[in-house]
Amino acid sequence: MNRATNVFFMGKGGVGKSTSSALFSVFLAQKGFQVLIVSLDPAHNQSDIFERSLSDKPLQIAPNLSAIEIDQEFWIRQYLKDVHNQINRTYSYLTAFNLEKYFSVIKYSPGLEEYALILAFEKIQKNFSRCDYLIFDMPPTALGLRFFSLPSLSLIWIEHLLALRKEIIEKRDLITTIKLIKKEIERDKVLNKINELRNQYQDLKDTFEDRKQTQINLVLNPDKLSFAESIRIVEALQEININLHRTVSNKMKLDSSFEDIDETFTGIPMINFPYSETPLIGFHNLQEFLKTNGDHLEKQLSISPPNLS
Amino acid sequence: MNTIIKSIRDRIISIWKIFDEVARGKAVGTIESELEEMENIFGVLVLGSFIGMPAPPMQISLDLMPLMEKELILMMEKVDTANEPIAQLFSVFDIG
Repeated sequence: MNRATNVFFMGKGGVGKSTSSALFSVFLAQKGFQVLIVSLDPAHNQSDIFERSLSDKPLQIAPNLSAIEIDQEFWIRQYLKDVHNQINRTYSYLTAFNLEKYFSVIKYSPGLEEYALILAFEKIQKNFSRCDYLIFDMPPTALGLRFFSLPSLSLIWIEHLLALRKEIIEKRDLITTIKLIKKEIERDKVLNKINELRNQYQDLKDTFEDRKQTQINLVLNPDKLSFAESIRIVEALQEININLHRTVSNKMKLDSSFEDIDETFTGIPMINFPYSETPLIGFHNLQEFLKTNGDHLEKQLSISPPNLS
Repeated sequence: MNTIIKSIRDRIISIWKIFDEVARGKAVGTIESELEEMENIFGVLVLGSFIGMPAPPMQISLDLMPLMEKELILMMEKVDTANEPIAQLFSVFDIG
């Protein structure tokens, strides 16, 4: 049973997604929740923030808190290797298609970056379902949005391919009936695979759309550019039926104005990380920041403590 | 006597079967070409990136590719006849 809540931190490059997600993770871990922070951002700032060398194996940072970093290149390589092996197993005339050459350049194809992140996300969800929270530090806007829209876009293609394949199978069945040929007992493998893919993408789409399973936090700064991009992110997410869970106003100074944010994101809860004079690097500094601002954060988040029974 | 009748009956049945098979084959000839065309379209749709066509997200093509050897072969064959669609159509309808 999957009980982990996925919390994503999205936003424009440089707004503080990594710092906000690190602070949020430390805060939840201190409250007693089992937390895994996952860096999906190729920039991998979590290693610098926690001053630890992270990899794809979880590293315990503090009680209840572990961290991992996803290596996109590794996932792309692994995926292409799997496909290549399957082709080698099933094709009889492989060399005729010159596929070797095709595979050497395919790793640069657009679209594989976000798919690598999706594969990593699925694996993490499966392997760490016992955690209370999976906190994802997302890459900047463009890749982040492609990640969330991948299931919906893929489903559009899948539905069309499925319809065409069904038509092909109907025609094939008609021919076998007229010709009195024995019908193939094994169902069409391509159709089976398309159905399998449809289920996979539908599950992902449902996960992203379910507010109990997925919480998207939009990090923004009190400046025009970050604010404008945030609005575009919200609109792009709404187009694929994904709703924002809360906004995180980072680096807020005392004289910063909340009015614009309040007006635009009416009804969306907001948390506010004040500007810190000390750089938020190292677990100790994150803890110190939370000591000063923890009460304030607790009020804004109103998360009940975990049920440890 | 019985053996001769049996032999004649078997021959008639056998001739009937051949006629039946030919008739059934002729009946589905057009459907078969239509099916081949649909399989080709399916191949081009899924593996369009091979030939510079708009293609689905790369992972869909890659996930289906190991199961589509037949479609790939068909696509390659179709390349040979792509320049003579009318001739192909005439051949489907057995004209000329």
